[in-house]
Amino acid sequence: MPTSSRREWLRQTSGGFGALALAGLLADQARADDPLASRPGHFPAKADRVIFLYSTGGVSQVDTFDPKPVLQARHGQTITASRWLNKPGKFDRYLIKSRFQFQKRGQAGIPTSDLFPRLGGVVDDMCMLNAMFCESDGHDKGTLAAHTGSAQFARPSVGSWVSYGLGTPNRNLPSFMVLAPVAPYTGAQAWGADFLPGCHQGTQVIPGADPLPHVKRPPGPSLQEMELGLLARLNRTHQEQHAADQALEARIRSFETAFGMQAAAPEAFDLTRESAETLKLYGIEAGTNQGFGWQCLVARRLAERGVRFLELIDVGSSANWDSHGDMADHIPLAKKIDQPIAALITDLKRRGMLDRTLVVWTTEFGRTSFNATKDHPGREHHNLVYSSWMAGGGVKGGMVYGKSDELGILPAEGRVHTHDLHATMLHLLGLDHERLTYRHAGRDFRLTDVAGEVIRSILV
Amino acid sequence: MNWSTCLSALAAFIFTGVLAMAGPAEEHFENLVRPLLAQQCQKCHGEKKQQGGLRLDSRQAILKGGDNGPAVVPGEPGSSLLIRAVSHSTELKMPAAKKLPPEQIVALERWVRDGAAWPGDGPPKAAFDSASIAKTLWSLRPVQPGAPPAVKNGAWSKTGLDRFILARLEKEGLAPVSDADRRTLLRRATLDLTGLPPTVDEIRLFLADTGPEAFAKVIDRLLASPRYGERWGRHWLDVARYADTAGDGADYPTPEAYRYRDWVIDAVQSDMPYDRFLREQIAGDLIPGRTGNDYAQGVIATGFLAVGKRYGYAPNPDFQHLDIADVIETVGRSVLGLGLGCARCHDHKYDPVSAADYYALYGIIQSTRIAFPGGEEMKRPVNLAPLVPPAEARRLEGEQALALAAARADLNSLQDERSRLDGSEWAGGPDLAFEGQTVGKAPGKPWLAMGANTVLAEAQSPFRHVHPAGKQGVRMAASQTNDGIRMALPRAVRKQPGGKIHLTIDFRTLAEPKEPGACRFYFGRGVIGSTAIDFSLSARQFAIRQAEGWKVIRTIEPGVWHTLSLALDPDKGSLEGVVGKPGDLAPVVGKILPNWDGVIDTFICDGLGHLPGKVCTHDLDNLGISTRAFGSPGGGPVVPSPVPADAAARLGQVDAQLGPAKKKADDLAARKPFAQAYAVAEGTPANARIQLRGEPDKLGDEVPRRFLEVLGGGKVAEGSGRRDLAQWLTSPANPLTARVMANRIWQWHFGQGLVATASDFGIRGEQPSHPGLLDWLTAQFIRSGWSLKAMHRLIMLSRVYQLGSDPSVDQQANDPGNRLLGHFQRRSLDAETLRDQMLFVAGSLDLTRPGRHPFPPEETWGYTIHNPFYAVYESSHRSLFLMIQRNRRHPYLALFDAADPNLSSAGRLPTITPTQALFLMNSPLVHQQSAAFAKRLLASPGDNLARVRLGMEMTSGHLPDAAGEHEALSFLAQSRQKLPAQATAPDQAEQQAWAALCRVLLISNPAMHLE
Repeated sequence: MPTSSRREWLRQTSGGFGALALAGLLADQARADDPLASRPGHFPAKADRVIFLYSTGGVSQVDTFDPKPVLQARHGQTITASRWLNKPGKFDRYLIKSRFQFQKRGQAGIPTSDLFPRLGGVVDDMCMLNAMFCESDGHDKGTLAAHTGSAQFARPSVGSWVSYGLGTPNRNLPSFMVLAPVAPYTGAQAWGADFLPGCHQGTQVIPGADPLPHVKRPPGPSLQEMELGLLARLNRTHQEQHAADQALEARIRSFETAFGMQAAAPEAFDLTRESAETLKLYGIEAGTNQGFGWQCLVARRLAERGVRFLELIDVGSSANWDSHGDMADHIPLAKKIDQPIAALITDLKRRGMLDRTLVVWTTEFGRTSFNATKDHPGREHHNLVYSSWMAGGGVKGGMVYGKSDELGILPAEGRVHTHDLHATMLHLLGLDHERLTYRHAGRDFRLTDVAGEVIRSILV
Repeated sequence: MNWSTCLSALAAFIFTGVLAMAGPAEEHFENLVRPLLAQQCQKCHGEKKQQGGLRLDSRQAILKGGDNGPAVVPGEPGSSLLIRAVSHSTELKMPAAKKLPPEQIVALERWVRDGAAWPGDGPPKAAFDSASIAKTLWSLRPVQPGAPPAVKNGAWSKTGLDRFILARLEKEGLAPVSDADRRTLLRRATLDLTGLPPTVDEIRLFLADTGPEAFAKVIDRLLASPRYGERWGRHWLDVARYADTAGDGADYPTPEAYRYRDWVIDAVQSDMPYDRFLREQIAGDLIPGRTGNDYAQGVIATGFLAVGKRYGYAPNPDFQHLDIADVIETVGRSVLGLGLGCARCHDHKYDPVSAADYYALYGIIQSTRIAFPGGEEMKRPVNLAPLVPPAEARRLEGEQALALAAARADLNSLQDERSRLDGSEWAGGPDLAFEGQTVGKAPGKPWLAMGANTVLAEAQSPFRHVHPAGKQGVRMAASQTNDGIRMALPRAVRKQPGGKIHLTIDFRTLAEPKEPGACRFYFGRGVIGSTAIDFSLSARQFAIRQAEGWKVIRTIEPGVWHTLSLALDPDKGSLEGVVGKPGDLAPVVGKILPNWDGVIDTFICDGLGHLPGKVCTHDLDNLGISTRAFGSPGGGPVVPSPVPADAAARLGQVDAQLGPAKKKADDLAARKPFAQAYAVAEGTPANARIQLRGEPDKLGDEVPRRFLEVLGGGKVAEGSGRRDLAQWLTSPANPLTARVMANRIWQWHFGQGLVATASDFGIRGEQPSHPGLLDWLTAQFIRSGWSLKAMHRLIMLSRVYQLGSDPSVDQQANDPGNRLLGHFQRRSLDAETLRDQMLFVAGSLDLTRPGRHPFPPEETWGYTIHNPFYAVYESSHRSLFLMIQRNRRHPYLALFDAADPNLSSAGRLPTITPTQALFLMNSPLVHQQSAAFAKRLLASPGDNLARVRLGMEMTSGHLPDAAGEHEALSFLAQSRQKLPAQATAPDQAEQQAWAALCRVLLISNPAMHLE
């Protein structure tokens, strides 16, 4: 509907703001000057959206997705490490075997450990990346690298880049949403837009009774539809008295979207519409409003409703996967996310959404396969090689890409830097990571800085 | 060609090269081609290797080519060897290992087709030459104010300023729009200068004053209002990255930072000349001859250097380089408009700043002591700057220390007397043995025990030099690492000038121990809060922890009692004593651990000794910690002094005095002898060494402290060099400082600077839209005595400032960004103004100065990365007084795009989001203020129409037209109809209907914009 006739319509529907907003202004919002308007990428996309799963603390690769028989056999022998606790030098260290059993799973026969039995059940949809590496073995820097490509500086998050590049098909919901009970290291900087326009920043949703602040009308009698109707008329009159102004227009639209969100967001978060069977699949009780199962199920609902980029954080900067003291600490953490993630992949698949939804799981870094004492139960930070995985959205399933060496210390082949992971994610979304740039402080910035290579052999 | 023409030709070449960089071909090269050549080609065809005789690291070299001839023919990809090679279309396939991805091949083709641009190409690897770069940079040329240009429409201009704008518009064939109406102008000026809307009375007065000086009078009135300093002070606080927390992982509060905030407000209000304003912020503490409040204000001003984002955990040098980097980057961005940060790692690629320049400034900041806010490791602030001169500070500190020492001595003698009276005084130390405990059980209060620890008669030490002969000690059976025993001393022992602290303990391991591990004896404050000294005991070794690690100092004979007896000398930081058994005492000498804070109130024995693994069973007895010496090991038994006869009566008197004496000592310890600021002071002057690639442990040459070479270099006269830096920054020879500020003032008035990149006047920044005007303004600024208020008058009395805010059709088509200023740019109210306006019209705004934020008291701080400080304090003061948190930001300020205080902010980047709309629709703030606003309107005289008109005038500065009035009145009528069903009483319905109307007015576009 052209602006003028819509304005006319607005005038006629005194008090009809609700109907108008709910009828959907999507066509009108798909304008070139709307930074969030859905727009095509650089080339046809394999995936329409991303669900980015982030496990805070540093998940051990040799205990989860990267079995090391030689390490098991050489348990207790010493090696000389050239670096220990971020200090270079020569350190005699003891090899520590994994105390978790690995089984070959799926038709592809990909081994995963008993920490993730259910995830093992969907391994035919997953592509393991077993030679990930990043620049830093510090939590803050590792978190930033995984999210923004830069371990050194504040930069926009990958979700913000995707929102900036593609906009979002549902303007009744934010383009980039973060379901996180607690913040990871670096806090909201992990999903910040930094220099990109602020509408691309992640909107954090804290699971619980009030996931979106101010989305609920205040208690008591409400005249909101009337108010917004009057607001729209006053704003339109004001606008007509002045020359065209994008900002005035955008402000008017923001109220329309917000009005829509009041219904759309709670509806998206309302799990009472899910069947008992689905709740059971995710391992959650009816009435639950938190937990990773809740996050995964809400993520699927938000993905269905067009949210472009969803990030799920399982644990925050404390009591996380940072198992220095005892790898047994991985057990409850894995148990918490194993079933929900498997359910998410299963559910997306049976709804025909997995093909167009890219699921990515990663962490700051891995953990050492050696330690300072012979039977040390814990593991230290290790960024030289670790595991991540992708599923759906144009990625081959049942595949292992990249290999670490026989002791899980260094990449042996197919290494994947965080820049490469980001480049691949953008590629699947139809974005060329070298062309997705933003001019800031006098130069064009990229998510992948001056590096990054698409991992072509894992693409469908 | 003679030598001089050769030189000028070279300069011209560089100059054109730089200018050309703005073009798309050059950008394409910089963004895609240069990195590609570097990553894919130059390893074999670069400085080190030239396979096939070919180098691909300069345009010159590429055109010259290698053994096969030129690599590139500009404009002809098809005839360029490079393109054929990367396409793998002929025999020659490059890179040989792996064909480039197609998009990179396309990028190279495009580059060749477009002429193979290579900005700044000279001989490869030219040395850094700031002088030649400087010549090419407009912002470094001296300020050259010309006369305002001639214009065709001479009558249009009110001031010389207008002629610069009009001349350019005329050149582009554009006409300015007509003037703003007077209501719009008054609202614009009032919001601009004070951040608040005009009152209805102010509107009436202005409309009634039809004299030619009416607007000038308004400007003077607004500049005199205390609201002006708050508004324009806030602009500078954006640039100064001001926040009320430190931004380290735990985001420690900085309760004294508000003094700097208030100083900025006062300085701006009083129109302090900008050059002095800067000098105060760089080195206000070093201006000689100041006393009293003048001195204090100078110190507070240097908060500018301190209020940045912090990285450290304790006041040690580990993260200092990041704090210093913040200061250098902030000074560069805010004052000079130069990004100095890049030079931390390498000579700046584009701007005339070398790494040597950077580390010259680094030396100055490193020689400055910056207040430490507290952090994960050291949870208390230190090095806050005294608001009295150093000599006075030393005197007051001395007095305080004396008074505290006297109070503690009084307390000590009372406590000593008490221990004599109640018989608990043994051998000059408190009873730290195990005599009060139950045999067969783990030690109870005042001990804490975990694991297999048992009080036993056979664990009694034979030594008698510490306490009188006892009957029992404690046996600690082989334990887990974290098992052990711990005691919080009933009386903390503190270092006193000239005094020593004596420690002693007896121990033995059981015969034939097998376990490999070692237990630790910890002496310090709190549970490993601050360690004075650690010892470690394994089956056969005894070790001491020193700064460099554990050091084994003697062997131990299993099954035999040993004793450790030593004296700490805190003045010297040393310790000495003996360890061993009678007849076999080995000396112990060493150092107290460096980070100890002077208090011992805790002893711990646990499994964290110098060797890992399980610890063998060991016995402990006769622990002593005292400021008085114990007997010598092997000496005779210690006998308690006899309990006096009148003990019971005297005990009552002592107990009555103990409480007040303790309170007096505690109060004195907590009291600061003088007020302090979160600011800086002089440190130890020293030059810095270049940190290669920005890594503090890879050091290059030392650089003398000085200014940027391109701005004259200079030499530090004395101290850190901050005084010199303050002079250099504001020297007339430095064209940047005044230009940058003149541009900022323009930007804060118009929403956009003449240079759009207000904090980047470097080569990658934008060029000025009106270079002549900028220099003219800069010259006026300097001539006015660097007066902001003079600049406000100059700018606001121009015609340009008073134009209407709607672009003409021509302007929309030809100047959509309004760079030519043919109209005034409408803009959204920023976060502070939006909230202040709401509270102001609702009558709820508290216009007093609130002072310090209600942070929790310092002694309760225990913030960590896992448990950071976070608070949002309710306030009805102006928004610039909200507590600005750095890491997890204030929800309102973050939502409405207030400045991010992590870096110097060049300008607000407003967004318009649905989440803002949700806040405006549903937040308690908007609902409370609209209810208050409704009450205010309902209390005003006149009928509903008059109230509607008043409400609209208060929020937008304008009166509604008839249609608008009708809209509002019918809205009220409909609301009343709709409400009674929901509301309980008619007056409540009336109130609610008006509140709903007010809500709409407060968040409507006319209210939310400055036009």
